[in-house]
Amino acid sequence: MTDPVILLQILWTGIAMSSYFVLFTVAFALTLKVEKLWNFAQAGLMGIAFYTMFWSLNAANWPVWAGISASVILTAGVTIGVEIWAIDVLRRRHSSGLIFFIFTLIFSQFVAFLLTLLFGTEPETIFPSVMSPVRIVGGIAISDWDLQAVGLTLGMLIALYLLIRFTRDGQFMLAVADNEKLAGIYGISARRVYILSGVISAVLIVAGIWLYGTRAGVTPDVPVGLILTAVIATLIGGLGRVFSAAIVAVGLALLQSFSILFISSKWQALLLYGVLFCALLLFPRGIPAWRWRRVRPVAKSAATAQAGG
Amino acid sequence: MRQEVLRLENVCKRFGGIVVADNISLSLHAGDVLGLIGPNGAGKSTLFNLISGLFRPDTGRIYLEGQLLTGPLHRRARAGVARTWQHMRLFRTMTVLENMLVGPREYPGESMLRSMADTGSLRRAEAAARNRAMHVLERMGLAHTAGTIVVDLPFGQQKLIGVARALMNDGRCLLLDEPMAGVEGSNYETMQRIVRDEAAAGRAVCVVEHNVSFIKDLCTEAVFMSYGRILQRGSVDDLTQSRELTELYFGAADA
Amino acid sequence: MEYLASTGVLIGIYIILATSYNLIIGYGGLNTIAHPIFFALGAYTAALLGIDTGLPAVICIAAGIGVAVVASVALAVTTLRVSGDYLLIASLGFQLGLLQAVNNLDFTGGPAGLSNIPLTLGGPARGWLYLMITAALALVVIWLAQRSMAGPFGRAVRAMRDDEVACAALGRGPFAMKVVIFAFGCGAAGLAGGMYAYYYQYISPEQFNVAQSATILTMVVLGGLGTIWGPVIGAFVLVALPQAITFLQLPSSLVGPLQGLIFTSLVIVFLFLRPQGLVGTPVAGAAP
Repeated sequence: MTDPVILLQILWTGIAMSSYFVLFTVAFALTLKVEKLWNFAQAGLMGIAFYTMFWSLNAANWPVWAGISASVILTAGVTIGVEIWAIDVLRRRHSSGLIFFIFTLIFSQFVAFLLTLLFGTEPETIFPSVMSPVRIVGGIAISDWDLQAVGLTLGMLIALYLLIRFTRDGQFMLAVADNEKLAGIYGISARRVYILSGVISAVLIVAGIWLYGTRAGVTPDVPVGLILTAVIATLIGGLGRVFSAAIVAVGLALLQSFSILFISSKWQALLLYGVLFCALLLFPRGIPAWRWRRVRPVAKSAATAQAGG
Repeated sequence: MRQEVLRLENVCKRFGGIVVADNISLSLHAGDVLGLIGPNGAGKSTLFNLISGLFRPDTGRIYLEGQLLTGPLHRRARAGVARTWQHMRLFRTMTVLENMLVGPREYPGESMLRSMADTGSLRRAEAAARNRAMHVLERMGLAHTAGTIVVDLPFGQQKLIGVARALMNDGRCLLLDEPMAGVEGSNYETMQRIVRDEAAAGRAVCVVEHNVSFIKDLCTEAVFMSYGRILQRGSVDDLTQSRELTELYFGAADA
Repeated sequence: MEYLASTGVLIGIYIILATSYNLIIGYGGLNTIAHPIFFALGAYTAALLGIDTGLPAVICIAAGIGVAVVASVALAVTTLRVSGDYLLIASLGFQLGLLQAVNNLDFTGGPAGLSNIPLTLGGPARGWLYLMITAALALVVIWLAQRSMAGPFGRAVRAMRDDEVACAALGRGPFAMKVVIFAFGCGAAGLAGGMYAYYYQYISPEQFNVAQSATILTMVVLGGLGTIWGPVIGAFVLVALPQAITFLQLPSSLVGPLQGLIFTSLVIVFLFLRPQGLVGTPVAGAAP
């Protein structure tokens, strides 16, 4: 049990497994930050992304790059379509959060039913085999998939960071996330920014479901479970903190991995919900330790808001 | 000697590093109309929030008619603290009359079971509350609006409804938060008349208001606040003629 | 004809669920989506008692209501401090966590569920008997909802939904009101669960998942939040219309997903064409 090699193995596998979890969480947290939208429609997008790759690589025998490109184009296209023809309409109507919640959830269900009709409920993987070559480094098994997963995830995160930090579009995203009306006064189109963040999320989702689908079977119902874990990580990470949500996602994956030392694997999911529930009750506004720099202005604005109200 | 209605003793409150109420002591008697003036952010609304129970003071005590005032908002409302809000906070999906009927301190249909049972005594209590609500509306000349959804009324009338709803409480202490902001013409006169009548009926009224002429017309006394402290209490003329306070007020207002 | 009766029972059960859920979310403005878990608690309690003790169905169903009420009060006192989106997510966590437990415990039958619930009210007219009982119960729930919401209690609840602070400043304590409507609504969901278990004689965890939350929520919102007849019509339309295709004699592997597609398409169409709900009036102020 306490053999360090075993612990290291669990640690490594946990980190590798957390990769797609991180990508989904970042996609969800980014949309929440920029659009202020709990976008459960991303579950539907995951389904679309996966089955596009599955179909083009298995039924149509396209090369891998073509399958991935098709998936990115279709997923991003659906994202933009939903943004323009649905979300934007609801936004202009000043719909309540409940309406957005229903729409995004029902959209995902619609996609799931459609995919069930087209592809059935058998678990499918992107490639026929989910095995990947393994090498032993210092007694720890490291598979090609592990390396690919960690590399892809790190690459995506770094690219996202650079984009937000150093490009005009990235700065616009932050401005809109901070105050869309003010950003509008400075001539930044919120709509353009929403579409951009939607496309970025779509790319992250394709990458995430690629990793998931090369490792485990996907059915039309799987994405809903995946999105819920992303929601949990986002909530615990603190709203509007995309990268701390990603760190929480790794932490939760590790917690689940290490929990096999203590509890049976069938209770792992329950552990996740338990963490969510406790985190919400204890810190209804995210974990305070991660927003210490903002504690003062937050307290002040809350006070004036209440006093003014 | 008129009866003391409200007394604050050394009330302090801070949010993080900001002191919003700094050792405030204040006494209000039946029939008083006390104006609270001072620059924005002086802590006037905060003082109302402390009295009505939205915030809890860090230290200090508040007494209503000699009784220690504690607990959350609804307890204090039931003890007789009636207040209005700068932004009215009307129940926007409800009619004027329904808004009024949430206000009485005694509320017989409070329990769900009692409300379902719909007994004769409940119906009589409802009818009495309705009568009282209509009476208050008539005094304001707003009886004809009883069936209107509140948000469909003009702003000035909504402002009056905010006060009318607070009057349903029938408490001894009435806190009015900027009742005149955005109110003009006949509504302005109605508001003045109502405040005078309520004070004459033995209530202690406290008004936060930026409209100095309203304060001058109505208030027996005024208090000047700045940065959570009471700088001076006196007649309205004294306060408005004080050069130091005027500078504080208008200097801060300009910034 | 048995088929009509069975559809009728399902509609009745959904009317109870939607009406009680509407009290919580439509009138009370409490955004929880955990309603199916109280439906499940009622169903599982009634079923387990029925299987293990053989007590009369009425007692088992009453026990189911009791368990749902106790669980709802437990959830209410812990989570009603948070509101809005957070309450939504907290309730989701509660629902999924409990469901996960049901899925993994042995005495609940795990993912396979419970299928040996004793037959109650057998005979050729079974469907029609259940239809009448369910319809009567649905009417009682509608009547109670109407009575309580039309009176002073309902007025205070709606005031709390519109502005909790202002409502409290008038002397109406919000917390007690929230717990009471929550307990009442969830108790009714427990009743629906008991009826469901005894009629279908089979329950499994997947019948109470997030998709079920979406179904009930949709019935309420599309029918008309905070109206008495909205959820009733919503339940009727959204159960009956997808059932229509069962007359088309399609292979059973297609019927499930097709019904789902019809349901979700209906929701999306209504959401955009009648955002105020089927019963609600398009008043700007009436938006939740």
